[in-house]
Amino acid sequence: MLETPVAGQRVYRHSIAARVTHWLWALAMLVLVMSGLQIFNAAPYLDASDNSNPARRILSFEAAKTADGRAIGTTTIFGHTFTTTHLLGYTDDGQGGEEERAFPGAVTLPATQDLADGRVWHFFFGWVLVLSLVTYVVVGAIRKDLRELILRPSDIPKLLPMQLYYLRLRKEPPPHGTYNPLQKVAYTTVLFGFIPLIILTGLALSPGIDAISGPLVWILGGRQFARTWHFTLMVLLIGYFITHLALVFSTGPWNNIKSMITGWYRLKEHDGVGV
Amino acid sequence: MKRRLFVASLSASSLVGCGPVKERLTSSLHGVLDSAQVLNHAIIGTHGRARLYTEADINRDFRVNGLDTPSDQRYADAAREGFGAYRLPVEGLVDRPHTFTLAELRAMPQLAQITRHDCVEGWSQIGKWQGVPLATVIAMAQPKANARYVIFRCFDKDESGIEYYESLDLHEAAHPQTLLALDLNDKPLDPDHGAPVRLRIPTQLGYKSAKWVRKIELAAAFPTPQSKGGYWEDQGYEWYGGI
Repeated sequence: MLETPVAGQRVYRHSIAARVTHWLWALAMLVLVMSGLQIFNAAPYLDASDNSNPARRILSFEAAKTADGRAIGTTTIFGHTFTTTHLLGYTDDGQGGEEERAFPGAVTLPATQDLADGRVWHFFFGWVLVLSLVTYVVVGAIRKDLRELILRPSDIPKLLPMQLYYLRLRKEPPPHGTYNPLQKVAYTTVLFGFIPLIILTGLALSPGIDAISGPLVWILGGRQFARTWHFTLMVLLIGYFITHLALVFSTGPWNNIKSMITGWYRLKEHDGVGV
Repeated sequence: MKRRLFVASLSASSLVGCGPVKERLTSSLHGVLDSAQVLNHAIIGTHGRARLYTEADINRDFRVNGLDTPSDQRYADAAREGFGAYRLPVEGLVDRPHTFTLAELRAMPQLAQITRHDCVEGWSQIGKWQGVPLATVIAMAQPKANARYVIFRCFDKDESGIEYYESLDLHEAAHPQTLLALDLNDKPLDPDHGAPVRLRIPTQLGYKSAKWVRKIELAAAFPTPQSKGGYWEDQGYEWYGGI
């Protein structure tokens, strides 16, 4: 254990491997989401089934014509239909016009409808994600950095006090190490839950993997269900990303960002060090 | 407030960023990105067995993948007289080139399997495919030692007159579930589904399962130096269709 941390003290918080893989993830996530939406556009619906089954459809995007001949885009989720023209269903085609298209060119890679190129981007950055995750976990395990980040049973009683502190119902956070108990929940869930699961559900879409992975696709509820999980995990990871940014920006953005570039972090009041 | 600003600027930057990205996806960058396919093929390959389903799982109104009935005149003529004059030559790097009639193919031991067809677009359908294992047909023709690929020439042409073709390597062709399918859901294939003979490889995506097969060639390489191994591959899809 280190000496008692002092506010203002500079500590080396992120190893070079952690910093490089962090930014690789950021890039990989951006490319994977955008190329993933491109791929999704080729079959803009999600079913809770093995083969495609409109009776078990939980989300779909469509374009339709109104009585006066205008094109509209619609989003149907759990049977409820909303008009989402320009945003979803009938959206920008990436070349200045609009077309029947679930996600707009502004958020897909490539911008124009191009399934083949979308797949090329997706599979390359899929490997970037997998290899950087493996690197991070292996280096983190060897350097014992991971211990600071993984939620452990002794953190559980500190979760409520930490939440109360965030809600300003408590003056001081419970004593903790480098990461507070709520951060540990988030990082553990993402690193060992969401990211491995999004990789697994993506692999389950491959007929080649299905043939060699035993019950994987069956456990996920079938191929179309695996596609639904894959999409749902993307939504969860985007939610995590937004929360992550909100916290980065609300807890000293320059200190946080600098530490993810140089490795050195300036301790604030209540910050801990170690496990 | 801060968060909303950020999200707005993020989508604005992607608006600006995406157009040029497409142009910058030049052959060299494409080469780097394509390296993932080499890994996928090496690691996943064509092993194991596609899952087998039951009669109850079948999609009776099986969705059509790729293009509808070919507009090719030869095909229209052959279809009009019920494919009675249809012949399937197996040639190229083989010791015993052979031309099969439909009756001959039907007289050979048939394999029926209910498997899921996974389209590259993302949808899936379950159907009962029956036909001759491709391995049987290839073995009869006796490939020469330097034969590496099985190339399927098809009846269809696109609007530019480019002929549809597809290819597998000998390992994929020999997979016990790789079929020259004659029937779908207990009926002879209809023109939209690839009549009279189509390839059916359930361990790979649907675009590999070439429809309207006209000729099978064994070869040491793809047909031309520019060829990526198939019609869809030449449009940018991966030759390895297992993922």
